[in-house]
Amino acid sequence: MSDQKVFARYKANEIVADLQHFGVKKFKSNTTRRKNALRKIIANLMLGNYGEMSLLFSELLKFWQIEDDLEVKRICHEYIRVMGALKPQQAKEALPYIMDDFKSRDEKLQMMALRTLVLVPLREFSEQAFDCIISLVNHKSPPEEVTRTAIYALIDLDEVDHERVLGLSSILHEIIRLQSSSPGVIVASLHTLYSIHEKNSNMESFKLSLELAFSMLELLPDLNEWNKATVLEILTTSVVPQHYLDTHEMIELALPYLQQVNTYVVLNALKFIMYLLNYIDVIKESLAEKLSNSVIALLDKPPELQFLVLRNVILLLLSRESCLLKLDISYFFIEYNDPIYIKDTKLECLYLLANKETLPRILEELEQYATDIDIQMSRKSVRAIGNLAVKLDEDSVHSCVAVLLDLLEFGVDYVAQEIISVFRNILRKYPNNFRTNVTELVKHTEVVQEPESKNAMIWIITQYSDIIPNYLELFRVFSSNIFSETLEVQFSILNSAIKFFVRCPTKETEELCMDLLKGCTDNGNNPDLRDKTFMYWRLLSLTKTSRISNPLTFESLKSVLDGELPLIEMNTKLDPTVLEELELNIGTIVSIYLKPVSHIFRLNKTKLLPSSPILNSNKDLSSGVGSLLPSTGANKNLQNSESESSIKSRKTVMMDDYDKPAEKINQLKGKRKYSSNNPSKLSRKPSTLLRKLSMKRPFS
Amino acid sequence: MSSSLFILDENLELLVSKNIRALPSLSSVLSSFKQCYHDEAPPILSQNDWFFIHLKRDFLHFVSVIHTTDKPNIDLMTILAFLEQFYHLLQEYFEIKVLTKDVILDNVLLVLELMDECIDFGIVQVTDPSIIKDYIRVKVNLPKIKIDNEEWSSSEESSSSSSNSSSSSSSSEYNNRKKGKSKKKKKKKNTKGKNMGKSKLKSIMVNNKENKGINVVETVKETLRNKNDTTKANVDEGLPNDGNDLYINGDIAKTIIMPISWRTKGIHYAKNEFFLDVIERVQYLMDFEKGIIRKNLIHGEIVCRCYLSGMPKLKISINKILNRDAQFLSNSSFHQCVSLDSIKTIEKREEKEDDDTGLQAAADAKELEFVPPDGEFVLCQYELKRHVKDAPMIKLKDFQIKPKLKKFKIQIETKIQTNFKPTNSTSKLNVKIPLTKVFQEYRIDLSKQIRFKSNIGKVVFNLSDDFLLWEIQAMKGHREHNTNKTSQDDNDPDACASMVAEFPLFNQEEYDRLQEEKKTSMNPPPLRTGPRLEELYRQVHDQQIAHVTPRDKLVAIDFEIPYCTCSGLKIEYLKVEEPQLQYQSFPWVRYKTTSDDEYAYIV
Repeated sequence: MSDQKVFARYKANEIVADLQHFGVKKFKSNTTRRKNALRKIIANLMLGNYGEMSLLFSELLKFWQIEDDLEVKRICHEYIRVMGALKPQQAKEALPYIMDDFKSRDEKLQMMALRTLVLVPLREFSEQAFDCIISLVNHKSPPEEVTRTAIYALIDLDEVDHERVLGLSSILHEIIRLQSSSPGVIVASLHTLYSIHEKNSNMESFKLSLELAFSMLELLPDLNEWNKATVLEILTTSVVPQHYLDTHEMIELALPYLQQVNTYVVLNALKFIMYLLNYIDVIKESLAEKLSNSVIALLDKPPELQFLVLRNVILLLLSRESCLLKLDISYFFIEYNDPIYIKDTKLECLYLLANKETLPRILEELEQYATDIDIQMSRKSVRAIGNLAVKLDEDSVHSCVAVLLDLLEFGVDYVAQEIISVFRNILRKYPNNFRTNVTELVKHTEVVQEPESKNAMIWIITQYSDIIPNYLELFRVFSSNIFSETLEVQFSILNSAIKFFVRCPTKETEELCMDLLKGCTDNGNNPDLRDKTFMYWRLLSLTKTSRISNPLTFESLKSVLDGELPLIEMNTKLDPTVLEELELNIGTIVSIYLKPVSHIFRLNKTKLLPSSPILNSNKDLSSGVGSLLPSTGANKNLQNSESESSIKSRKTVMMDDYDKPAEKINQLKGKRKYSSNNPSKLSRKPSTLLRKLSMKRPFS
Repeated sequence: MSSSLFILDENLELLVSKNIRALPSLSSVLSSFKQCYHDEAPPILSQNDWFFIHLKRDFLHFVSVIHTTDKPNIDLMTILAFLEQFYHLLQEYFEIKVLTKDVILDNVLLVLELMDECIDFGIVQVTDPSIIKDYIRVKVNLPKIKIDNEEWSSSEESSSSSSNSSSSSSSSEYNNRKKGKSKKKKKKKNTKGKNMGKSKLKSIMVNNKENKGINVVETVKETLRNKNDTTKANVDEGLPNDGNDLYINGDIAKTIIMPISWRTKGIHYAKNEFFLDVIERVQYLMDFEKGIIRKNLIHGEIVCRCYLSGMPKLKISINKILNRDAQFLSNSSFHQCVSLDSIKTIEKREEKEDDDTGLQAAADAKELEFVPPDGEFVLCQYELKRHVKDAPMIKLKDFQIKPKLKKFKIQIETKIQTNFKPTNSTSKLNVKIPLTKVFQEYRIDLSKQIRFKSNIGKVVFNLSDDFLLWEIQAMKGHREHNTNKTSQDDNDPDACASMVAEFPLFNQEEYDRLQEEKKTSMNPPPLRTGPRLEELYRQVHDQQIAHVTPRDKLVAIDFEIPYCTCSGLKIEYLKVEEPQLQYQSFPWVRYKTTSDDEYAYIV
């Protein structure tokens, strides 16, 4: 019989027919046949054919008694595990058989029975599971494999009956303290205790004494790779060094595991060492080198793991003012066969790694990607160049801009659009350095299609109308079909038209302005647009009417509508407490999203650095490698924007935004609208705004 | 830890599912995965409060599901690393390189059992194939090879009659299939005498071993069956006489929790051999026009296959470690069996060197000491950077596109040179020269003859993908001694291989003239034999204008040089010690340097 047939939907009675072929001549062939029937049951469970399969319960129980073949047992247990939740009454009937299996002398069967007991979410089952575990405890020399399974089972049972598990936890503590059981059992106890502490929010986080921590570390060579990693993971935050010497010794013990083949072990060792670095007086040069090397070695893995490592590299790069790792940028150059998510992450790493020395090489690479045929990629790299220009200091901007202008000549539409979008940011930061290039940019007015680049183009035209002779002509390209634009672009057009008028109230601008105001109020379907138009209209008409009684002069109107814009800054840092937490979570899901744990897993505890006399409050003081760059005035600005942006980001937890840079221009999109509509000078001081707008209604 | 595990096929249809936390409805979970999955999706996705961590390997998706309320563990890297390891485990188990839907479907139970064994309540325990193979001995149900019915039926007879054989209550049909296979295998074995030595005569129980000893001298039929057992390695080993799956050797069951968790006790081979391959892949990328080397890396791997009895202790000395190559020491990672203390002592010694106190330690800590796992494993991986001035193994000396417009011809000239020991030679050397650009820039007349000239190897023109493949099988090594000799070297095929390809360009004048002649002359047009390349070309490239991708600018070189390592790594000695059994053993060491996927010149 072909096995393909096993994997198909069956009716219960078909399988029953197969099962009931008892006692005919050939016994052997019948067992095979029956076994095949049992396999069909499992296959049908996979297919979700629960209804039919539940009818077979009694048949299956018959087999349980007579067969002692391991495979049959396995099928029976699997069946109970799946059906247990669906048919609790029937599942209870199977309980005695499970207990029989547990009492058998075969370790495998015992483990299987124990797992089934735990996995079926029924009161009776978990009661039995507790009894089994207690009987194991009382047993003189319980088989180690079974003990280990039992210990792990406690984690799941904790959800059922927390008090009872707590009662058993003293035994686990004892196992760890004595260190006399086999290493596997010790690790299992450690893991279970740790998990129970983590799970229950009313319990304190798990702590290990220094002494035990050292004995666990010494146990490491005897463990298999998964257990090694588990131990290293648990030790992070659960052991608190009290002296610098402790820290050094622990690092020494953990260091060799950076050279393991298994990524999991390496990342956990890395996490442990990064944690310990908070409790250290001085970081050796060789240690930093080792860490960097292990990270680089990890980049040579299958793409999924590589992605994980790269995300964590970002985290490490963000974590310290002067980065601990010394990574050569060439490892982050993009290969054509990288999957898209790796490309994105590499781009982000490159962006973070950029500084004065590396900039030329990075720009060269980015320029290459920008001319790539992959449209997404080339857009992203153009954006990265633009962001670099804003991020770095004034010297570097010129080389970035030079590259952008080169690319502009390349003459591909989407590249040009992207360049215009990023150029707006550059102009926001350096309003006067690139005046000459503006004329070059506006030549591409016809090209822009997307809302964002349209917005940018309109802004550029408006802002530099003094050096563009034909600015109105260019502007009409957009304003003539305002009603086919998106709302954002409509706002920009309206806003710009008002600005033109306020700047130089000629007949031409007035006409343009009035046309738009009329058009928007008459034809605009969007209430927001209409409201905005009315607001502008009233403002304008206020100044026009009675000059004497009106406190709102034309000058103040001008400063309201066409004020100075604040400089923009790149939001380069994450919140330090968030960073601290992320660093303790290297390699977990939060490290992918670079968001605090509570945003993603609401019920999880937040990990924090436990205090100790030797905890370094300032991360950079301790790094012997890094130079202390005083972060001056920028900081103030940063904090401002940070608090603002973090509030925003806290409101909406976007889970899919990890393809965007971790650090973003401070909400530029939202802010731009904000700042261009209401000049920011005022927006920063709402009181002045109020004063200016509070006008007394003229009497009569 | 994950709430459940799935294996899905290409169309995201469920193949195997493992419910770890007793989730009520797997199908709804699966459908939310289907909603958020798309090609090129990053390895982690989220939808409706579920996180999906997935790997795509071969034709299968391995998905692990986590709920946002799963409290303590959000440990992504465990899961990713586990899925990766589990994939390798399946590969090992099925002994095939590419896993397919059918293989999984045929072995659902086995896969479930493996999952059960690897994870305990979602916590990863062990994924080492060689250990699990000893532990779970379910027969793998491999796709059948064509078996004639006669054999099928006859073997069924024999299997049900013979009590000794693998009729161990479970599924005799699997055995039949395997028997059919083993016959084929045997033929193969005979042709490859060398392989015989490798065949494992491994047994776990002592009496079992004796039994096998007898088996060897038994009838042909019996030996055949015995072969079956040995070739199929551990999967069905020990079956001949136990006939009872329930019996587990205590030794094996304990292995996992023993200090040396990667090797079971009581392994026995008739011939004790240890194979060690040093394989280095060279990654090299150079901008030929600008003369800038973009990448120059060596990815090295030491792969071992161990067929040794008992608990052998191996001592390996590597020249890099002896010479304290700092780059090697810091950029290498080792298998878990290598006691990391030995590496550490090496490093410590290094530190001590300065104060001259560690001289004694230096004497005894120059080697790696370890107990190897059974079968194949990767001992060490390392990545080295080469110095910019180090010449590449295969160097592109010259690459020119010479259009000769007057003669209506275009010549592509390529010269390459080797740079390694003259005693070695390549076993494979292919140079791929892209033509997309040439075809775009010039109008090439394929109706006329293309000519190739090379002093070594042969040249093939790939019409559909626009490239020339210059196949030089063996080329000797060569070292450049002094510069003034190079002029002579040019003509020496060993030192410098050169190739010229000549494409005819379209000649409008001549074409017009011929058309005219055809019209006026009474003679029939000259007969053409052979394929009409220009027509084929047109068929393949239907009109669309291909973009010149960066890939089309790469002269890629694909090579393999045996007996040579690019980094100069050398195994100084390899000692096998087994204090109890004291057998004679045969260690074999091989070296090989190959090109990485990326060994190319940008032209």
